[in-house]
Amino acid sequence: MIGERGPRDDVVTPLRSLGPEDRALLRRHLRAPILTFLALLGLLAVNVTLGATLPFAHVWVVELLVVTVMVAIILLVSMEVRREPPLVRLFAGLGFFWVAILMGMTLTDYLAR
Amino acid sequence: MSRGAEAQPAAGVGVARVAHFATVEQQRHAAVLGIWAWLVTELLLFAALFLVALILRVQHPEAVRAAALHLKFWVGAVNTVVLICSSLTMSMAIAFSRMGWQRAMVRAMLATAALGSLFLVLKGYEYYADYEEHMMPFLTVRPYALAETPATRLFVNLYYVATSLHGLHLFTGISILLGMTWMAAKPGFLSRHQNWIEVYGLYWHFIDLIWILAFPILYVVNR
Repeated sequence: MIGERGPRDDVVTPLRSLGPEDRALLRRHLRAPILTFLALLGLLAVNVTLGATLPFAHVWVVELLVVTVMVAIILLVSMEVRREPPLVRLFAGLGFFWVAILMGMTLTDYLAR
Repeated sequence: MSRGAEAQPAAGVGVARVAHFATVEQQRHAAVLGIWAWLVTELLLFAALFLVALILRVQHPEAVRAAALHLKFWVGAVNTVVLICSSLTMSMAIAFSRMGWQRAMVRAMLATAALGSLFLVLKGYEYYADYEEHMMPFLTVRPYALAETPATRLFVNLYYVATSLHGLHLFTGISILLGMTWMAAKPGFLSRHQNWIEVYGLYWHFIDLIWILAFPILYVVNR
């Protein structure tokens, strides 16, 4: 894996000085992180707006759904679970599975009393 | 590691195999699996705290609401934005490391550490404001603002345990990140240890994920 050519120490930006190839490379690598960033900010804005205005009863259900989507985005895109080997996906999935059991069984008890 | 086409490392970027691994691929898998094993234990730790918050909400709705109204909602929201920004800069550092753009990577790592530090400063301000408002029930020498509602102590104490534990993880993360940045700035780092950036990135994104959960569970749903 160790190549002969050293890493690009010379790339200091500014963006204007990058050639078309470097720009294309940059776009390809940063597209997913920037889209993820925008999606997370948008979903946070939804939750903050709901939390600040409390537009209807049981708004917390929507807020928790929005959080679930945010967590899924971080796991699948930022933490790249979708691209990991099956064993890593199993580990990550099992962690949340145990959390679901912990939450589900405990809250079933408290909510059913 | 079965990454997408954009994640394939550039020339001069790689991992130096250590003796007890048969291949570099095996070494990369082991590192990612190891950090995930640890992150899962961290997830269970924080999940238990969040579960207690939800139980308190079910058992003492009025007390929890009264206590949550004293939390600094907008500081918490700004801090969430700060951590989401830090996740972007960490993802950029990982992308630059794969591209072999070492200096850009180091700058992205420094930006990540700076944003993490900004989070801690804002959290410190929040704690100070809580102190000024007599919202620290564990301080025996200082009267507690909601003393007439004893159940609020449960939620407020839980808030401090959860947020300070998260803050401790963030502080540790910033320290490790700065140490790694110092090493990553040296010539030849990316040809030997590129996967360190990816493995560390998982930890940083996980800290972000925990706060993404903590903010609504503590600040938002209880309003």
